Order: sequence, then C-alpha cells, then structure tokens
Amino acid sequence: MDFQLPDYNLRLMLPEIFLFLWALVVITFDVVTKRKSESAAGYLSLLGLLITGGILSFTGYGRGFGTMFFSDPMALFFKVIFLGSAFMAIGSSFGITKQKIVNHRGEFFGLILFSTVGMMFLASSQELLSLYIGLELTTIPLFVLAGFFKDNKLSVEAAMKYFIIGAFSSALLIYGISFLYGLSGTTDILQMKINLAITHLTFKNIGVTLLLSIILVIAGIGFKLSLPPFHQWTPDVYEGSPTPIAAFLSVGSKAAGLVAFAKIFVNGLSAFYGPEMLPNDWGKLVATLAVLAMIIGNTVAIRQTNIKRMLAYSSIAQVGYIMIGMVAMNELGLSSVAFYAFAYMFANMGAFAVVAIFEDKTGLTQISSYAGLSKSSPLLAASMAVFLLSLAGIPPLAGFMAKYYVFAAAIKTAGSSASSSWLYWLVGVGMLTAVFSLYYYANVIKEMYFSKETSPYRVKFSAPALMVVCLGLIGVFLLGLYPEPIMRFASDISASFGFIPN
Amino acid sequence: MDAPVSLVFWILSFIIIVSAFMVVSLKNIFHCALFLILCLFSVAGIYLLLNAEFLAAAQVLIYVGAVSILMIFAIMLTSQLASKRISQTNENKLVAFFVCLMFGLSTLVLIANTHVWRYSAQALPEANVLTIGKYLMTDFMLPFEVVSVLLLAAMIGAIVLARKETS
Amino acid sequence: MFYYLALAALLFSIGLYGVLTRRNIIGILMSLELMFNAANINFVTFNKFVITDGMTGQVFALFVIAVAAAEAVVGLAIVLLVYRNWQGIKTDYINVMKW
Repeated sequence: MDFQLPDYNLRLMLPEIFLFLWALVVITFDVVTKRKSESAAGYLSLLGLLITGGILSFTGYGRGFGTMFFSDPMALFFKVIFLGSAFMAIGSSFGITKQKIVNHRGEFFGLILFSTVGMMFLASSQELLSLYIGLELTTIPLFVLAGFFKDNKLSVEAAMKYFIIGAFSSALLIYGISFLYGLSGTTDILQMKINLAITHLTFKNIGVTLLLSIILVIAGIGFKLSLPPFHQWTPDVYEGSPTPIAAFLSVGSKAAGLVAFAKIFVNGLSAFYGPEMLPNDWGKLVATLAVLAMIIGNTVAIRQTNIKRMLAYSSIAQVGYIMIGMVAMNELGLSSVAFYAFAYMFANMGAFAVVAIFEDKTGLTQISSYAGLSKSSPLLAASMAVFLLSLAGIPPLAGFMAKYYVFAAAIKTAGSSASSSWLYWLVGVGMLTAVFSLYYYANVIKEMYFSKETSPYRVKFSAPALMVVCLGLIGVFLLGLYPEPIMRFASDISASFGFIPN
Repeated sequence: MDAPVSLVFWILSFIIIVSAFMVVSLKNIFHCALFLILCLFSVAGIYLLLNAEFLAAAQVLIYVGAVSILMIFAIMLTSQLASKRISQTNENKLVAFFVCLMFGLSTLVLIANTHVWRYSAQALPEANVLTIGKYLMTDFMLPFEVVSVLLLAAMIGAIVLARKETS
Repeated sequence: MFYYLALAALLFSIGLYGVLTRRNIIGILMSLELMFNAANINFVTFNKFVITDGMTGQVFALFVIAVAAAEAVVGLAIVLLVYRNWQGIKTDYINVMKW
C-alpha cells in the first residue's frame, strides 16, 4: 500500500485548534492566579468563544486531512450553534462559579470548551471513526460537568446516571458501526453510501444485518438525543446537574447528536429510506420514535412540578419535532432541522438561563416558587414568558417559524408520492401535541403573572446573565420576525450535504 | 480456518464466554475483576489468530495492564462492597436474561443469513505494526490527534472529580 | 468468519445482560468493557476476512480501546465520588430522584 501525507489544510481547522488551546489557557490561567479571581476565567472563556466565532466566519468551505475533515455548510451552521450554546451556558454559570464551584472554576469552563471542541470536530467529520471520537470528546467532559457539585448528592447521582447511559450508548453505537464497516467495507460515510448501493444492486438484497446495525446506531444516538424509549435518564440528569450544564446538555449535546444522526442516516444510509427498502427502512422507525417523543414529552411534562424536569420533558418533545424534519428527506428537510436547532438554542438556553439566575438567587427550582414573579422582577418574568412561548411555537417567535419549516418539509415529501403519505400522520401528531404543549408552558406563565401574591424574591441580573438573556431575546424575535437570511444560509445545507460547494 | 487454529479458537472462545459469564454473574466483585482480566487476555489471543499482533499487545497493555488494575484499585478503595452477602444484581434479572437471550439469538440469526460481504481482492498487509503506524500518521492522523485531546480532557475531569476538597 | 462474529455477538449479549442486571457501578463498568471488546472483535474479524485491503478495522479497534480506557478513568472517578457521598456504590442507594 502507498501512503501519502494527506493535505492537511489546517486553515480550516483553525477554530477548533484555537478553541482547544484557549481551553488550556483558561485552565492554566485559573491555576496560575491561584484561583483568586471570581469571574475572570469565565470572561476569558467568553472571549475565547467570540474569537473562535470570528475565526469561524473566515474559514470558508473545503476539506482537510483527506476525507477526515469536511467544512461544509452543515458543519459551519452547526458550529455556530455549538459556539452559541457554549457561550450562553458559560454566560449563565457565573452565579454558580461565584458561590459553589470555588476550587475548580478554570476546569469547569475549560471542560465546557473541550466539549465544544468535540462537537465541532464531530460536525466536520465525514468518517465514522472521527465521528465516534468527536462524539466521545463531546460526552466525556459532560460526565464530569454533570457531577461538578461534588458534595451534592443530586449532582453526583446525575453524573453517575449520565455516565452509565453515555458509556452504554457508546457501546451500542460502536457495535452498530462495526457492522456498518463490515457491510460497506469502509468507514468513509460518502464511500459507504456508494458501496452499500453497489452491494444492493449486485446482490439484490443488502443483508438483514444492516437492520441490526440501524437499530443499534439509532439506539446509540437516541440516548444522546433522549429520543424515547431511550429518554428515561433525561429529567434526572437535568435536575441534578448544574443548571447551565443542563442547558448545555439539552442544546449543545443534542445538536451534536443531530449532526451525527444526519451524517450517518440522511447521508450514509439515504438509500435505505422508503418502502422498497424493507426491512431496512429507517425512516418509519425514526418517525415512530418521533411520535413517541412528542406524545411522551408533552404529556409527562404537564405533571412536573420542578421547572428543570419540565424543561427536560419539553426538550424530549422538541427532539420529536426536529426528527420530523430529519425523516422528511427532501431539500427542505435538513435545512429545517438546522433552523429548528438554531431557534431552539435561543429559546431553550434563554429559559435555562432564567432558571439559573433564579436558582442562584433563591436556590429553588419549583414551578410554584415562580408565583408572582412578574411583580417583583418584571424583566425576568417577561423574558421567561417569551422563551416559553417560543418553545411552544407561538407566532411571531422563533419557535413558530421553526415548527412551520419542519412541518412544511414533511408535507412537501408527503405530497410527492403515495408511499410517503404517512408523513401526513406525523405532521398531524406534531400539530396536535404542539397544542397540548401550550398547556404546561402557559402554566408557568400563569404562575408568574396571574398569582395573587407578590413574589418575595427580587432578582437582579448580573452583567453576563443579562447579556445571555438579551442574546436569547434578540435571537427569538429576530428568527421569528425575519427568518429569511438564516433560512437562506440554512438552505445551502441540504443542497450541498456531504459535498463541498465551490 | 485450518485445523490447529480452529482448535485454539474453540479453546479461547470457550474461556472468553465462560469468564464473561462469570464477570456478570459472580457475587464477589473482586472475583469478577479477575475473570475480566482472564476474558480480556483471551480476547488478545483471538486478535493473534486474526493477524492483529499489535492490537493484541495493546489489548494486554491497556486493558489487562491499565484498565483492570484501575478497577481493582477502585474495588479496594471502596472496600466494603466486596463483602459478600449484599446482592449484586437487581430484581429484573429474568426479564433481562430473556431480553439478552433474544438479542443474542436474533443477532446470530441475522449474521448467519447475511451473505453480502464485499470481499476485497487484496491480501491483508503482512507487516502489521508498520502498516498501523503508517495509518496513524497519514489517513487517521486527525482522529489520532483528537483522541489525545480526549485523553487529556478525561484526565483533567478525573482529577477534578477524584480530588478531595481541602477547604 | 461466522464463528468469530458469533463469539462477538455472545460476548456483547453477556455484557448487555451485565449492564441491565448489575447494581454495582464497577460491575456495570466491567460489563461495558465486555461490550466494547465484542465490537473490537467484530472490527478485527471484518478486517481479516472481508476488507483485507488496508487495516482500517484494526486501527478503529485501537481507537476504541483508547476511548474505552478514557471512559473507564472518568467512570472510576465518579465511582469514588459516589462512594464518598454514600459510603457504598450500589445504584440502588441512589434513589433521590425517581425514574
């Protein structure tokens, strides 16, 4: 065999390399300054994320390391989401690093940055090995971050559950990937697509083992996405882990799972979608799980009394909506997924930021403790209401446009052929459950605005928290009222998925 | 498979299956760890049968040498649960057994019924270690670098978690 | 080749059984290692019998070993943390939150 040094094209990887080095700088800075300064490490990491975003806007498209590193519209778009969610998570964690995490501030922020680096590598991988490593680099720091309150039993339990689930799902995933490798003879996702198609043409069947690997990979990534029936860990882990980390889990780690899913299924296994590919049709399988997600997430959320658990179930439901766009498999599908993830980032990170601010002040996460908040801290209550209404999908907020695009993508495919008319059912379930979801979101708003007594808590914003909430509000309104520019950028995604545009 | 390799294979897989079963069913967690070492050692033997000498060495070094020892340390540190009597398994044993039996059997059936493997024409490269080294430095250079970041992150995380707070 | 894949499948199922039934986190961790090893046997088997041009499978297995080691390290740190908080590491002790 000949070996050639691949064309590195390091220019494309500058954001990742920079962010990795910056994480080391943050950790070292905290140690060198003897952990004295309360928030310098946090500001330093925010600065690093901003610079990384700046570098990202100059990198452009291309490929490096042979086929290992793809910088396509999908990767760039999701990298913005990862950086944004890391930014908002760090911005809303100044409270806990001041009060609770006194000894390991630098490591706290550094591990968030490490996890973000992993997500960015994952988004750029076009190959099963680097995808797997990226996914692991995303989750392993999160195991640690979930248990960062070391003497808090809830937090330690969250870390333990998340670790067991995370390692278990990665074992399922790797076993599934091993069969994909065996069947296709390659780990390159684009080559895998071609090889599987050739095999299918020559043998007239692809082998039932593919079904096994599809199920295993769906289970492996489903745990990360908390797609039912792999969702039981979600509320526990969100409740126990530090609130900004729960937010980061629900947005960043989920978006990473979405990218991995899109790469393996929408790209690599796109030939195995549709009724003629039975029993290897993954579309209906995922659609069933999406229906489960929407129903379970939205109904169980109604019963919750803890706001973090409620947001956890709401995030399970949101993944169901995103999956509608994923199985739509047309030129709008992935674009709507990306747009949804973007809108979801602003609304969900914003809502969690409000929860974090409130928790820093009061130490409470019960929904009932929000009673009468509109009178004592009107700005906080108003922004919470906006974020929740966006999650519920009320026009003119971002969540509405996101749901609109996802449903539009599914309806477009459903109308294209008789064999895919089952997508109508999916959209129907989606709309129905969206109406249901309004109930529990409105419940929180009702507590805040229509409670008789005035809340005893007067919550003030710290500067970074105010920044995060404002960023969330701007995003939610901008994407809701004027989605065209983002959508135009997002529409490049499905047009060029897996290819480098010129 | 020619005959002598086959015999070795049967012996090794017998050891693997039996010791793996011991790992998941024994009551004494320390004995479980010892059987895990035996199991992983035999897996290294399987790698040797499959022309993966370097991997076999790595398996012995990393799994048997590092991971298992780490586990034994953890068992020692968290001593009293090595004590017997406490049940090491939970209630849904029977259900889990059937689930796994079904999973294993269906996997076997699926594999046995798949005949679409795309056999490639070339032979496996002879110089094993050499080839792997070249792969790591060319095609798989990026994951190789990323995995080092991963190990660093895991190390930092483990130190942060395991450190006793003084204040 | 079937025998090797069958061995991996059995090993994976046994590991799965361990993960589902163990109460002890270290026990779960050991069962997880069995599952990772099953995947590795698959990779190497495919590399030997099917995809003989190149050594992608063996390299992949090497990376899986590294990742499994990293996971074990973090897992055992969490074990220590749990032990310090509960003085015992049964998953049952940890019932603060309901499933």
